[in-house]
Amino acid sequence: MAAAATTPEILSSLMTRIASGEREALRQLYQATSAKLFGVCLRILSDREESEDVLQDVFVTIWRRADRFDVTRASVMTWLSTIARNRSIDRLRARGPLAYAGTIDGLEIPDGADSAETLLSAADDRNKLQGCLSELDDRTQTVIRTAFFEGVTYETLARNMDAPLGTVKSWIRRGLAKLKGCLQS
Amino acid sequence: MSEAPDLSEAEAFAAEHALGVLDARERAEAEIRMAKEPAFAAEVEAWRHRLSPMLDAIEPVPAPQGVWTRIEAMLPANDNSAVMNKLRFWRNSAVGGFALAAASLAGVVVQVTQPPPVAVQAPVAAPGQLLNASLTSTTGQPQPLFVAAYDPDRKALIITSLLPAGADRDKVNQLWLIAGQDKPRSLGLIEPGKAKIIALPLEVMAKMSAGAKLAVSIEPEGGSQSPDGPSGPVIGLGELSRL
Repeated sequence: MAAAATTPEILSSLMTRIASGEREALRQLYQATSAKLFGVCLRILSDREESEDVLQDVFVTIWRRADRFDVTRASVMTWLSTIARNRSIDRLRARGPLAYAGTIDGLEIPDGADSAETLLSAADDRNKLQGCLSELDDRTQTVIRTAFFEGVTYETLARNMDAPLGTVKSWIRRGLAKLKGCLQS
Repeated sequence: MSEAPDLSEAEAFAAEHALGVLDARERAEAEIRMAKEPAFAAEVEAWRHRLSPMLDAIEPVPAPQGVWTRIEAMLPANDNSAVMNKLRFWRNSAVGGFALAAASLAGVVVQVTQPPPVAVQAPVAAPGQLLNASLTSTTGQPQPLFVAAYDPDRKALIITSLLPAGADRDKVNQLWLIAGQDKPRSLGLIEPGKAKIIALPLEVMAKMSAGAKLAVSIEPEGGSQSPDGPSGPVIGLGELSRL
């Protein structure tokens, strides 16, 4: 993957060309971002075959919806990763409630602190979010990360953690409020 | 960071939607709200943006050979037809709540991606100019309920309903043109949540000018019972203006 020269500006201009129906631009976007997006799918689904299906679906979605991308509101990479994450979570949910059983215990999420940045995007944002997450208490951090990477609902979180739903909800809401405060500071 | 102010109920809901903890019913509710309330949609976007750096930490994994070939085979052939592009653009601009900015941009996009064909045919009478209208509720809510674009080149009005699909099944929405002193003229029925391209006869095109109004009324099946205009309540009203 020759992603070395990929900058946010290049990605934005690719999106504009894709929105006007240029297939070659989509191919270039695929070359620049598919490894990252495949990584996101794999992280959430832990299944290569399903991740390939979702990746395929993600790029067809990008092709159809490139005109909905608003450069003033989001970075291309954020938009693409969010689509990949949401599609993967949809797939995860389609597997049924059993897929979530026991995911909380021994939950281990690599924080990727040493990972090389392939795309020149938002390393600062990442560090800042990592920093702010780590200021939350362990339990809140864990539920927020689990919710984010596994798309588990309040109900499932509450069941798996053996805590009342209202309690889990207030952990998360308070955690999100703190996170926002920290990110703004 | 021990003391952070609580999030408002709306923002908390937006954040929960971005995080993914809502159940299926709540998710659907959030999606509908995003379509109807640009401010809420922007809140969800802001939260997606805040949380997305978690995804940056994930290591890239080269996708297997062959995935691109499959993607290419699935791309719809005519997905970039000009009218559909514009239509999606309109819908997007309204949903995103950037209607004004997007409207000025739309002119640019249209010009760039669609160089006007060199006229070889006989000149067409009074094609007029591109116009748009954002139809808002008559009760004072600022969010548009319908967006419309008049394209003289296509001799068509493109109208998009931003109401939830399937709303109010035994009633229909009827679109009206109110130009000058004329009585309202029906431009046809439109479906909630859908977009429609309405071909306009020349005599109607002649009335499509800045300042003319578009309105949508709720009518019984089959449309207005009155020969003089809407028989039911008008739910959306907006003025045509130049891009």
